[in-house]
This record gives sequence, structure tokens and C-alpha cells, in this order.
Amino acid sequence: MEFDLRPARDHGLEGADRLKSLSRERGLGSLILGRAWRTVLRGYMRAFHRLEVTGRENLPSPPFVIVANHSSHLDALTLSAVLRGEAARRAHSLAAGDTFFTSTLGSAFAAYAVNALPIWRKRTRPSEIATLRERLVQDRLVYILFPEGTRCRDGVMAGFQPGIGALVAGTEVPVVPCFLDGAFAAWPPTRKYPRPGKLRLTIGAPVRAQDLPSTRAGWEETAQRCEAAVRALAAR
Amino acid sequence: MIRQAAFDHPVTVAIVGATAGVLAFAGLVIGVMTLLGRGTPELRRELWLRTGSWCLLLPLMMGPVLLGREWVIGAVTLLGIACLREFDRATGLFREPLVTAIVVIGILAANFAALDHWYGFFVALWPLTVGVITIGTIPLDRPAGYVQRTALGILAYMLFGAGLAHLSFMTNEPGYRPILLMLLTTVALSDVAAFTFGKLIGGPKLCPATSPNKSISGALGALTVTTILVATLASFIFRGTPMAQPHWLILFGLMVGIGAQAGDLMLSSIKRDIGIKDMGTILPGHGGVLDRFNSLLLVAPAAFHFIQFFVGFGMGQPARLITGP
Repeated sequence: MEFDLRPARDHGLEGADRLKSLSRERGLGSLILGRAWRTVLRGYMRAFHRLEVTGRENLPSPPFVIVANHSSHLDALTLSAVLRGEAARRAHSLAAGDTFFTSTLGSAFAAYAVNALPIWRKRTRPSEIATLRERLVQDRLVYILFPEGTRCRDGVMAGFQPGIGALVAGTEVPVVPCFLDGAFAAWPPTRKYPRPGKLRLTIGAPVRAQDLPSTRAGWEETAQRCEAAVRALAAR
Repeated sequence: MIRQAAFDHPVTVAIVGATAGVLAFAGLVIGVMTLLGRGTPELRRELWLRTGSWCLLLPLMMGPVLLGREWVIGAVTLLGIACLREFDRATGLFREPLVTAIVVIGILAANFAALDHWYGFFVALWPLTVGVITIGTIPLDRPAGYVQRTALGILAYMLFGAGLAHLSFMTNEPGYRPILLMLLTTVALSDVAAFTFGKLIGGPKLCPATSPNKSISGALGALTVTTILVATLASFIFRGTPMAQPHWLILFGLMVGIGAQAGDLMLSSIKRDIGIKDMGTILPGHGGVLDRFNSLLLVAPAAFHFIQFFVGFGMGQPARLITGP
């Protein structure tokens, strides 16, 4: 990668605005905090959930998008803990802004430790999707995304929203499907805190969408491909 | 190490008192301007913002100096890291975390050498850190961008590590307070004087492509004020030393005045090259930390070595306070 004499994308933003910005780029401090957070997370996953991962070899080099079923707050934590090296450093969880970015302290934790980017449900602007799509390719990022849009309340996976397609349709960025088993039992939406319980993560072969147009139809087709891939992993 | 009380030197008392007085007077003048409706609302707003920031900044600058050497070294270390953060985010160096990390370690080491009063290590850190920056990213086997990231890393260490840490090393001199206060306040005053003379006199621009708002009249006015003020204060501080001769004092004043404006123009060049207006947003009315402290970057090492040549810092004081036997 050649050196780019270019300011951070979030240059000039005030502190609080920067935390919530989709243009936020990581500096040394965030990388160190993120590393510490992942170390704690891996220890927790090992000790409390005996996390078992299969298919790690399916993870490509960045950029890519990792998608999974969503039934618990443990989902994003598990996927963050599984990534290694450059992929871990470049990973952003796309998190619900109305849940994780409502206070300055919460935003600071979500931004610096988890490296989450806020998605404002039901009011995401096309320009925000365009920013995420552009950064994914240009900055060679990794997005952790749950295309169901919210945690399922009954443990049964819902259909995928077309937002994933808006990010990758027509690009060469692969989507890595994952299925996480055990998270709903360990920490369902009805519980305030998690309880110990076995977690099994299956990582599938990447799904491609470069043959699809970046139109509504292409986005929906991408979402269907991703959903089918995750359901196939669940059925194993 | 000999420690003196905060207000032992009359120049310290004079500078602190004068600073408080100037701030109060500035507030009064702008208050009267506001009441009488003089000047444009934009000008008054800018003046209020700048004065307000100074009310916060000056205690933050002077407080550590009055509290003691460890406070100064801590503050200079934080200042160096804050400057580095703004610099690396503006230039894109932050995308090279290994280089940034080496520069951070260099800043910490330079200030540690000052805290330890270990001049040999302090001087050796220059080539050593540059060497580590130079070879640090070679094992990544990524030659693309090598020259840029290495050059930016060395520049960053030179300015925010080795350069600024000279302020830290000055505290090994028991009578460091008036020297540091003189540098901090006159360098700040140089900016204010350039702004004021430029507004009052106007005229041709100094370097319009580099800094469109700076005029030759502002630069000359600021240089005159800074030189006279520094020479006068230095004559009291260095009384009875080989430096206390008019030609050396005036040369010292000129050096501080030119260094302050050169630092400002250096940062303007960086900003114009990158295409940004300010280095940050943390100080209302000023921009970033670097926008405020740029004038100090070149003055710190220049003033240190000038004084070192005639007088020295920490001569006769115990050395290697931490690492020594």
C-alpha cells in the first residue's frame, strides 16, 4: 500500500461527533484499546462459553463482510473475538446507533474498544450507505453485520434485509456467512446479563455478489444468497 | 537537586502578574467593544473566543511551571503526544501505527532522559530514535510508501519529541521557572502581536500562498515586540552571566522572535500542502493544540542551546537521578 498524504476521513469533527461518525478512522490509541478489548473478550469466550470455531480457513484477507444470525449481544462479541491480525484491526461492527451510541460514554466505548460504527435503524440515509460502501473497498475494511436487522426474540432466524446488498452488490468484496449456535440460550434478549453456555461458530465459504447490480433487485438477491448460505450452515 | 520556591525569582512574579493583568485588560476592552457595538460581530466573536481560550490555556501552561519540574515534564510529554496525534491524523501517518508507536516511545524516552537529568542519553536519543524509525518498518517487507512514512516519522519525532523535550530538560536548572515562563509567554505574545499589527497596519502579505492572513507589518511588529521583551526579561534572568551583554540578549530575542514565526509558517506550510485549515478542533478560536503551540516547536531547542552555550542547564546538579548508581 503506497503512502497516502491524506488527513483522516474524520478530520475536523468535534469529539462527540467523531465518535458517531461513519468516517471515523482508527489511530494508535484505538488500536491499543481494541487489542486489549479483544484479549479480554477471547479470555471471556474461552472461560465462560468454551467457544468452538470451525471453518476459520474460510476467512479471506480484507476487505470482506462477515454476516451471521442474530439472537444475542454475544453474536457481535463472538465474531469480533474470532478475527485475527489485520482483519481484526480493520474490523468494524455495524451496531444499532439507538442502542450503543446514545450516551457519550457508551459511544466512546463502542467507538474505541469495539470499533463499532452506528447504523440508525429506519432512518439510514443513502449517503451513509454510500460512505460505508466506499470505505469498505477503499480502506479495505471488515464489517461485522447482522442482516436480520435486530436480535430475534424467539431464537428463530428471521429473513435478511437487503442492506447487505447495498454494501457489496457489484463489488468484488466477499461476504463470509457464519452461524452461531448457543448464543440465544446463553444471553437471550430477555436477560440482562449472559450466563455461561457452550457457543459454536461455523464459518462458511465466502459468498460473492459482483455479478449483481447495485440496484434494489441486486441488493435483495445478495441478501437472499447470504441468508441461504447462513441457513445452510445452520442445517449442518 | 536544588529546588526553589515557585515565586522566588522576581521575573516569575512579574510575568504571572502581567499575564493576569493583560487577560483582565483584554476582557475589559472586548467587553467595552461589545457594549459600544464597535467592530464587526465576527471580529468580536473571534476576540472573545481567543481570549476565552487563553484564559484556559495560560493557567494550563503556567500551572505546571509553577508546580515543579516533574509537572513540567509531564505536561511537555502530554503536549508532545497531543501534537503528534494531530500531526499524524492530518498527514495520514496514523495509518502507519508502527511508526507512530516508535515516535510515541521516542517522545516518552526523551522526556524520561530529561526527568533523569541524563544529558548523554537525551542527546543520543536523536540519532537512536531516527535509526529505529528508519529500520522499524523494514521487517514489514512493504517498501511502498517507505520514504514518506519514515520521513514523516522523523519529522514528528524531531518536532514533538526531541524538540519539545528541550523544555523538559530546562527544568534541571533550579532557576528554570522564569526562563520557561519567558519563552511560553513571549512566544504566545508574538502570535498576538503579529495578529494585532497586521490588523492595525495591514500592507503586503508575508507569504500569501503559505499563510494568506500574515502581513509583513505583522511579522516585523511581532519580531520587534518579541525581541525587545525577550531581551529585557533575559537581562534580568541572566544577570551576572556571560550572556548578559546587550548584543547577545538582542540576538537571543531575535532568535526567539524568528523561531516563533518560523514555527507558525512551518505549520501553515504543512496545512496548505495537505489542504486543511486547522490541525484540530479542541481549542475554540485557535483550532488544534498544534495551531496554538506551533511557535514553540522551533524556539524550544534553539533557546535551549543558546542558553546552554553561555550558561548551561543543571550545571552542578546531580545527574542520572533515576538510572544512576
